[in-house]
Amino acid sequence: MAAAPSLQELRELVAEFQPNRGHVLPALHKVQEKYGYVSREAIEVIARQLNTTPALIFGSVSFYADIRTHPPAETEIAWCSGPACRLLGGDRIREAMQHTLELPLGGSSEDHRYGIHLGQCNGTCSEAPQVWVNGRVIGKLTVADAILLAREIKEGSRE
Amino acid sequence: MNARLESMIASAKDAWTAAQNNGRVKINVTVDTSSIAQGADATLGALREAVRANNLAADVQVTGSWGFCWMEPCVAVRSAAGTRTVLYANVTEDRVPEFLQRVVVDGGDMPELALGVVEGNPTAEIPLLADHQFMKGQVRRLMANLGTTDPGNVDHYFAHDGYAGFGMALEMDAEAIIKEMLDSGLGGRGGGGFPTGRKWDFLRNATADPRYIICNADEGDPGAWVNRILMEGDPHLIIEGMLIAALAAHSTEGYIYLRYEYPLAIERMQHAVDQAYERGLLGKDILGTGKDFDLFVFKGAGSYVCGEETGLINSIDSYRGMPRIKPPFPAQAGLWNKPTNVNNVESYANAPLIIRNGAQWWSSVSDQKEKGTKMFTFSGQVNWPGCIEIPFGPKVRDVLDQYAGGMRDGRKCKGFQPGGPLSGMLNAADLDLTLTLDPYREKGMFLGSGGIVFFDETACIVDMCNFFLAFCEDESCGRCTTCHGGTQRAVEVIRRIQNGGGRETDVNIFEQLVTTLVWSNCLHGQFAPTAIKTSLKAFRDEWMEHIVDKRCRAGVCPGLIRYVVRSQGDPDLPKAEDICPTRAIYQDDGQYAVDDALCIRCGACKEVAPNGMEVVDAIVQVVPAGAAAAG
Repeated sequence: MAAAPSLQELRELVAEFQPNRGHVLPALHKVQEKYGYVSREAIEVIARQLNTTPALIFGSVSFYADIRTHPPAETEIAWCSGPACRLLGGDRIREAMQHTLELPLGGSSEDHRYGIHLGQCNGTCSEAPQVWVNGRVIGKLTVADAILLAREIKEGSRE
Repeated sequence: MNARLESMIASAKDAWTAAQNNGRVKINVTVDTSSIAQGADATLGALREAVRANNLAADVQVTGSWGFCWMEPCVAVRSAAGTRTVLYANVTEDRVPEFLQRVVVDGGDMPELALGVVEGNPTAEIPLLADHQFMKGQVRRLMANLGTTDPGNVDHYFAHDGYAGFGMALEMDAEAIIKEMLDSGLGGRGGGGFPTGRKWDFLRNATADPRYIICNADEGDPGAWVNRILMEGDPHLIIEGMLIAALAAHSTEGYIYLRYEYPLAIERMQHAVDQAYERGLLGKDILGTGKDFDLFVFKGAGSYVCGEETGLINSIDSYRGMPRIKPPFPAQAGLWNKPTNVNNVESYANAPLIIRNGAQWWSSVSDQKEKGTKMFTFSGQVNWPGCIEIPFGPKVRDVLDQYAGGMRDGRKCKGFQPGGPLSGMLNAADLDLTLTLDPYREKGMFLGSGGIVFFDETACIVDMCNFFLAFCEDESCGRCTTCHGGTQRAVEVIRRIQNGGGRETDVNIFEQLVTTLVWSNCLHGQFAPTAIKTSLKAFRDEWMEHIVDKRCRAGVCPGLIRYVVRSQGDPDLPKAEDICPTRAIYQDDGQYAVDDALCIRCGACKEVAPNGMEVVDAIVQVVPAGAAAAG
């Protein structure tokens, strides 16, 4: 995990963006790609760069599911919420993983080692029901598979 | 044709022909999001490494999807002499050494992995691919290059007449392009079916400048991935379509709004755009014609309503992606309040085919009101979750049997859902509907952008409604009370029913939601209750069973079922105790039991001890009718 960026670093990172050119999302993506999330400070820096208010920037931050205001966990589980997964037991997998990890959907452990959030269908439905662990598909899961996977992640015995 | 374009196409064709005849085996590996999920990147790496290490006379190339998304990685092998190509499936990394030995070194076949012979003669063991049940009757025009060309190589696209449609359009005036589009009968492929040529004409007739061309690549319907297949497989086709639209409507700037859930499609579209700039097809003074067109790939950030054209425009515009109130329509005041045209990926992708081959050729493939071909993806409880391209018109039943391979485990189809979460659910009787737009419109729903989800008797209709409505609630932009409040209310009531608290008056609440959500500003709210509305008709018995009898026939709804120990002697019960995530299964005096208050109905115990555990109806106390009227 990168250390908290200095204001100077943030300003340089978003220096290419201009007001009224549709640059809010590109700026948010750029910050998040570098630091993993968009901090309060980053919202203020982007607002200044784009000659608008932090309130407007925060409006976008809170609107989009992909923009995070906190660092992601080291191991992020994205649970696929799509219909093919649902029909093949996806919601029971979610319940079981959340109880195993003792986390709400969108939550992460206090030590930031692991977290779980809702993912949207990307059309890899042959692998349903599936989760993505740090972006990698783990598919054709049974509920029992999912519980064992969650236990491994929780205990730290999985890379 | 423009001389610079003509020479690029000609030299690309020469290079392609030379490469095809260089005496080396061609190994084309499908690398897309679906195949990577099944290990295609590892297969690609292993093939390249082995070819290099063994100094084999073979070229390994990345290509797009054949549509066999459930048996990836797919690999097509063309013989050194160039006379025979065979498509193989399930070529996983561990099979690479044997595969290379038999197919490349020995120059033979590997029938156990073969799907069919693409070109050349079939054998007793490997029939023609065109005779494969999944390929028969498909008309692959949009998908023509998929499996053949490298999506990362613009010269491959040129070599297959790429940008020739744009070259022809450069010599037509705007009216002629629009006339060709109108004559073709192409309707918007996002689901609306509105004539694409008319939309372009609106923009052409706009009075302000600049005017914008936007490609809606925010394919957000869960279970639909046709646009992803195209963008990952043949990105230049979409760019060429947008260039033609720009000529027709005098636009100088365009955006491809692509959902962030498709990182590989973003990467490939961006790469294709960069190549088009390098070749002078985008930017200032395109190919020396004096025309300008800048194109940007704009990455979304996770919002379903940004697939609504004005939500999408607001999102680029730096506002929250909330759909606008129409009018004004985008053709009058869209992006930055300037005239704007928004079309779906598949709509733009058809434009080069129409201009290259003529409206007559393009429309002749379909005898329906809807012209041309349409791509579909199938998912849910089917055997073959794949992607096809067919003319409009066949019955859903036939498509399910032929292209989706029927239902899993020999089960019966209980129903299906076309068109994403805003469309509705139909029962098996409606499998006789055709894949055209009208039958669904007549039912107050829509065929949609190409994703069709099929489900069998193990699916619970109430739980599926929970899924669709919870999705609509989560993705509501918040503008209209009918929508953000209505979907929230719907989810509350559905969950109460699932937890055993159904009341007969709930049907009245649904009725009110269905009749008030239609007042919402955009399609999201207007169609959010469609799943409830259509399923209350198609599956009324199942709804009333949940509400009145407190019974879930599929054994899904958490408050209507219980897990109990069926057989104390079952040797798998210790495994059940061990897997339970809430320690609901315990031993008391050597007897296993389930603490119902702790049980979350995840069913893991029954998976590991199928004979020891069973699901039974929960005994829910039925509240007398009228005792609790209000929700």
